Parts: sequence; C-alpha cells; structure tokens
Amino acid sequence: MAEYDAGGSVPALRTEHLGRRYGKVWGLRDCTLEVPAGAVAALVGPNGAGKTTLLEMIIGLLEPTEGQVSVFGETSRADTAATLARVGYVAQDHPLYRDFSVADMFHLGRAMNPSWDQQLATARVDALDIPLQRKVRRLSGGQQAQVSLTMALAKRAPLLVLDEPVSSLDPIARLEFMRDVMAAAADTGADSSLTFLISSHVVSELERFCDWLIVLANGHVQLAGPADDLLAAHRLLTVPRATPDAELPGTVIHRDDSDRHSTALVRTDPVQPAVRGHAGWQADPVSFEQLVMCYLQRPPTAATTGNPAPAAARPGPTGKEVTR
Amino acid sequence: MIWVTWRQHRSQAVAGLAVLAGLAVYAILLGTSMRTAFSHDDLAGCLARSQGSACPDAVGAFSNEFGSEVNQAFWAVALIVPGLIGVLAGGSLIARELEFGTWRLAWSQTVPRSRWLAVKLALVTGGLIVLGAAMTAVITWYRAPMDRLTGRLDAHIFDFEGLVLTAYILCAFGFAVLAGLLLRRSIPAMIAAFVPWLAIRLVIEFVFRPHFLAPLTTTCNATLPNQAGGCGYGLGFVPQATGHIGDLVLSANNGVVTYQPADRFWPFQFIEAGIFVALTAAALGATIWLLHRRATWAA
Repeated sequence: MAEYDAGGSVPALRTEHLGRRYGKVWGLRDCTLEVPAGAVAALVGPNGAGKTTLLEMIIGLLEPTEGQVSVFGETSRADTAATLARVGYVAQDHPLYRDFSVADMFHLGRAMNPSWDQQLATARVDALDIPLQRKVRRLSGGQQAQVSLTMALAKRAPLLVLDEPVSSLDPIARLEFMRDVMAAAADTGADSSLTFLISSHVVSELERFCDWLIVLANGHVQLAGPADDLLAAHRLLTVPRATPDAELPGTVIHRDDSDRHSTALVRTDPVQPAVRGHAGWQADPVSFEQLVMCYLQRPPTAATTGNPAPAAARPGPTGKEVTR
Repeated sequence: MIWVTWRQHRSQAVAGLAVLAGLAVYAILLGTSMRTAFSHDDLAGCLARSQGSACPDAVGAFSNEFGSEVNQAFWAVALIVPGLIGVLAGGSLIARELEFGTWRLAWSQTVPRSRWLAVKLALVTGGLIVLGAAMTAVITWYRAPMDRLTGRLDAHIFDFEGLVLTAYILCAFGFAVLAGLLLRRSIPAMIAAFVPWLAIRLVIEFVFRPHFLAPLTTTCNATLPNQAGGCGYGLGFVPQATGHIGDLVLSANNGVVTYQPADRFWPFQFIEAGIFVALTAAALGATIWLLHRRATWAA
C-alpha cells in the first residue's frame, strides 16, 4: 500500500459542496471529500449513485452546478487543458477506437498530450505481450482495459481516475488488472507518488487493494476516510433481539433482526464498545464489504449525516454508553 | 490533432477520391466525344457568326446526341451527390464518439473539446472544399462544348459549375455535424441532415433563384425567324425574344418576356453560394456552442 500523509500537505483531490443538477434532478449533491496524495481510493456505490457524475467533474468533462473541485490545490475548470492535464482517466468499458491499432492509440495519446511518455507506453504493452500492430477490436477485453490503463499512465498525470475498470472483465482478468494498477501505484520511480481513485459497484474486488474508502449513495457521500481507520471504528454487534438501539454503544448504522438475535453495525470511535457484562452480546470486527453494504442500506434521510466529522470533534452518546 | 483527424477520416478521404476518380473517368470519356462532335461540325464557328441560327441542323444533331444525357440525366443523378458527400463526412464526426462512448477518451486528453472540434471541422471542411472544387473543375471542363450552346444559367448547368457545388457539400456537412451532436447516432444524423438539405436546395433552386435579382423584360419580336410556338425558346437555348445564348426566360405572356440575362451567372453563383455558406456557418456555429455548453454549462 502506498504511504500517504493524511494531514498537512496538499490533498490530491478535494471537493467542496460539489453538486451537479440535470434539469430538476440532482445527480450528486453536497459532496465534500478529500483524498490524500499517494492514496488508492475506492469510490463505492450502487449504479446511479452519482459515481460517474462525480468522476466526470473531477476529470474536467463536466462543470459542477455548485461547489468546486481541486486537484493538488489547483481549482478545476471543465474543459480546459490545465485541468485535463492533471488527471488520467480510464472510462467505464475502456473505450478505444476499434479500427485503430495499439500503436495508433499511442500515436493519438502522443498527439493529444504534451507530457506523453511513449517509452512507458510501449514498455508496458510489451511486458503484457500485447502486439503494437494489433487492431483494438482484435484484443481481448482484458487487453483493451490494459491499453486504456496504459494510455492513462503514459499521460503522466498525478491523479488517475478509473471508472468501473474491471466490471466488464472476467475474474482472472480482474485480478490481473488490479495487480497491475497496484504495481503502477507502487512503481512511481523518482516521480511523486500517483494517486488513484477507483470506482466500483462491486466492493469485494477493491477490498484488498484500496487504502481509502468513499461510499456514495443517492447522490450523497455516506462515508469517507482511511480504510483501516474506518474498519477499526466500526463493530458488528450481535445482541438479543429485544435490545433497543438506545442501549447499544455508538451510533447504529444498520440493524438486521432475526428470530432471536439482532445484528447491528455500530460506529464506536473513539472508544471501543464494552460488551463484557452484557450476557449474550458479541462484538466482531467488520469486513470491508459488510461496512459498505451497511452504509448503502441506510435510508436516504440518514444520508445528510454521512461523511462524519473527525472523531475527536464528534459529539455522540458513545462515551456514556461504554461506561455502563 | 492533425494526425488524429487524418487517422479518423482517411477512409472518407479515400472514398472522396474514388468519387472524384469515377467522375473524372465519366467526364473524360463523354467530354472527349462531345469535343470531337463539336469541332467536327464547326459548331464553334457557326456559334460565333450567328448564335447558331445559321446551322440549325448541326445544333439540333449535337443537342439530340448529348443534351438529355449531360443536362437532364446528369442533373437528376448528381443532384443528391453533394448532399451525400456532405452528410457522410459530417454525420459521424461527433455522433460516432457519442455512439461508442469514445468521447470520454477523446475529450479527456489534454486537448479541450472545443479545440478538438475546431481542428476537426477546419481540416474536414478544407478537404471538402478541395473535393468540391476538383469536382467543379472536372464537370466544367467536360461540359464546356455544351455550355457554348446553352449558356450557364439553366439549372442543369448552374448547379454544378462555379461556387455552388462546393457550398452544397459544406451545407450538408454542417447540418450533419449538428444533427450528430443532437441525435448522438451517425445514421439517423445523416438522414436528418440530408432531408432538410434537399428541401432547401430545391426550394432555393425553383422558388428563389429566378428572383435573386429583378428579371429584365423585353417584348417579343414575332418577325424573328424560327419562331416556334410563341415567344419562348426557339432553337436550342437561344430565346426568341432576346436572341442571345444563355438568357433564361422566366415567362412569356402576351408578347412580354421576362428573363435573366446570361451574364448574371457569377452574381447568382455568389448569392446562392453565400446562402449555403451562411447555413453552414450557422449549423457549425451552433455545434461549437452546444458542445462547449455540454461541458461547461452548469445545468
């Protein structure tokens, strides 16, 4: 995992109250988040959550209706060369010109990007055994994804945005693709480290690769922060069914009731819940996927309380609960 | 960007050259035999001496042999060709990117889409102008003997010489680029551009063109020889009333003839080409504005 500096230095990406309206419908609203330089961030949400809208505004393909985006401290303006140059982009379904050869695609990249790294591009497809002269339409889906990623990397932009990069790939190709992304994230040579923002509606494929998590649903940020801290701050409690929410420590994010027991995801930072002394209570660490699923199942009205403030500044009943 | 434009449009460029080559073969074959027939009967000398009235048999024979082919038939076939060329070049320019999702690739490189569009439009427009000018030159060359007999103001000739052929191509191109942005599909965009192009083209030809400039009037002199059926055309394209090759008679009622004189060919060419170039500019200007707004207009 890449090392990142969570405080102090300029974030790779910052959005402030970002919103985009399509006619009368908001595709994304009041999105405030930060991704530190060097992070590999997962942007997770169901289809229609506003992921692509958010990504297009970050890339500079779309102007926000309200709020703003900044990449490495520079405010983005849609459709300007300066903004476009700061972000490499692998679009969903990795579109390429089907009648172009791989070499043609790289020629296009060179023609349209002043900082294009031809050596990096050819070395990468060489290592992947993709013939330069082969037409794009004759490449497998995995190879097309690799050519798209190669073009984004060879653009030499400090922030890379990958929109559903593996959703159209088979499981083996998914794994290989994500491994290559991680290798690229680690292998940055003398350059400052790359920052990745990878969207997906499938959580499991990102779990072991990402160190930063953003959960988006219904056009709002539900949860955002360093993946490890978020996992540490949540517990999955199994309690007798009759136990009311108010007796549970922390903030109840989601609760499933079965015949005899209830399973509740609670956010408990800064203090761990004390379950000793409660007969029949059990607290388990939560997995990446459980965490995301619980936040995605929150009703839309709870969304406004998403993206919680830093733990230290956070008011809440947690302290009282655990001292019982 | 120049390379990108070339790479994406080179098959269209080859197709354009093929059209031009086919036209040139046809024009050389027919143009050569027309020239042979024309000089064989010394039509040039006869026309210079008497506007053709001294050699009615030779004029009649030449007109019978070539007239319907190079005038009516050629017009009927070639009427739609500039429109087809234009919509084929323009329909896919933006629509193909939207259709296949490659706009996310094309417009996320370090070239703003407004510049991407400007370069593409400039280069493809330039290519179409070259093609249109070359087609005009070929047609003008091959028709030259017939033009001596008919003048150039008649629609069968006017539509393919001078400036208008190129302007027709550009107009269809502009309509198709705009339709491609609005409809996001290449084939529907081509159809949606071609239909109004043809309608405008025909309305201007039959309704507006005869009145680009106020017609002249003269009275019909019924004592002229070879008068056939009143005061319209007599032999070939020499109007009875004016006695001058290429004058275009609009109406002849009660001995009063209204006509457009043959020397208005170039003013009419500039007027008609101007109309089509203005339509092209309006369509392309709307395209540039809409594409820019798509990105930067915050709902």
